[in-house]
Amino acid sequence: MTGLFWNLLLATCWVFLTGSFEVLNYLFGFVIGYLVIALVHNLVPALQDYPQRLPRFIAFLVYFFRQLVLSNIKVASDIVTPPWHMKPGVVSFKLLAETDLEITLVSNFISLTPGTLVLDVSEDKTTLFVHAMFLHDEDQVQADLRQLEQRLLQVMR
Amino acid sequence: MFEWVITIVYLLLSISLLLGFLRLAKGPSLPDRVVALELIASIVTGMVGVHAIDTGVSAYLDIAIVLAITAFLAAIGFARFIQVRGMQDD
Amino acid sequence: MTEFFISLLLLLAAVVMLLAAIGMLRLPDLPTRMHATTKSGVLAVIFIMLAVALYFERMDITARVLAIIVFTLITAPIAAHAIGRAGYLSGVELWSQTVRDDLKDYYHNHDKVHEDDSAST
Repeated sequence: MTGLFWNLLLATCWVFLTGSFEVLNYLFGFVIGYLVIALVHNLVPALQDYPQRLPRFIAFLVYFFRQLVLSNIKVASDIVTPPWHMKPGVVSFKLLAETDLEITLVSNFISLTPGTLVLDVSEDKTTLFVHAMFLHDEDQVQADLRQLEQRLLQVMR
Repeated sequence: MFEWVITIVYLLLSISLLLGFLRLAKGPSLPDRVVALELIASIVTGMVGVHAIDTGVSAYLDIAIVLAITAFLAAIGFARFIQVRGMQDD
Repeated sequence: MTEFFISLLLLLAAVVMLLAAIGMLRLPDLPTRMHATTKSGVLAVIFIMLAVALYFERMDITARVLAIIVFTLITAPIAAHAIGRAGYLSGVELWSQTVRDDLKDYYHNHDKVHEDDSAST
C-alpha cells in the first residue's frame, strides 16, 4: 500500500514538473515512478515487495474483467432464450481468507462475477454461502471460486 | 451518426426503465421491489452520463455520484428494514 | 476514431442494461433476479462512465469518472449481499427448481442466529 502511494506521488510530481495535465502524461509518470521504485526497492524495507505486487494486481484486474464479461454473456444468453438452462442453488464455500478485510474483498469479487452471489457468511467466518446460477457441475463452480480467491489473496499478502 | 447513437441509447435505456417499473409494480415481495429500485437507480445513473455526453455539460456527473450514493444508502436501509420486519404480505 | 469507441461503449452499455431489465422481469426468484441486475448494472454503468471519460478527455472529469466506477464496484455487491441476506432470512421462497440449499441446513442447526440479528438492531 505504501508502495502504491509513493508511486502515485512520483507520478503526480512528474505531471507537475512537465506541466501538462493529461491522462496519458499521468500514466507515463506512473510508469517512470514504477521503474524508479523498482530500482531502489532493495534499499527501502517498506517497498520490498511492491515491484512484484503491481504486475500481479494488473494481472488480477485483467483476469477479473475477462471473467466479468464472459459470465455476463453466459447469464445474458440464458435470459434471452425462453427455456431455462440454469440450475440455481446455494453452496457452501470454505474460505482461505482470514481477516475481515480479506473476506470482504473476496466476497465482493465473488458477488461481482455474474453467476455467483454471496448470500451470507457463517458465524465463525470460515464459510461463505454462495448462490450459484449454473450448478451443473459443483466441483467446477468450487474450483472457479477457489481460483478467484487465490488470485486475490496473492495480491493482498 | 453520433446523434443517432445517442438517441438509440436513450431509447434502449428508457425501455429498460419501463421494464424495471413493471417489476417494481408487480412485486411480489418487498425485496423484489428493492432490487427493482436498485436497477432503476443504476439505469438513471447511466442516463445522466449519457445526458452529460449529449449536452456536453460535465457538471451532470456530480448528479450521477450523488445518485449512486443515495441508491446505496437506500438499499442498505431497506435491507435493515426487511430484516427487522420479517416476512409479511405486501 | 474516439467517436467510434464512445458509440460502441454506449451501445454495449445500453444492451447490457436492457438485458439486465429483461432478466429482472423474467427470472423466477429473488436471488436469480439479483444475478441479472447488480452485475449487469455495474458493467453498464462502467461502460457509460468510460464513454464519458473518453468524450471529455479532461483530467478532472476522468478523476470523477474513476471515483464513480470504484464506488459502484465497492457498493453494488455490498447492497446485493444485504438485500439478498435480508430477503432470504425474511423467508422469500426460492425457485421450485433450485437444486441445493446449504444455507437452510446451516440455519437449521444454528437457530439462534435469527434472534441475535434482531436483538442487535
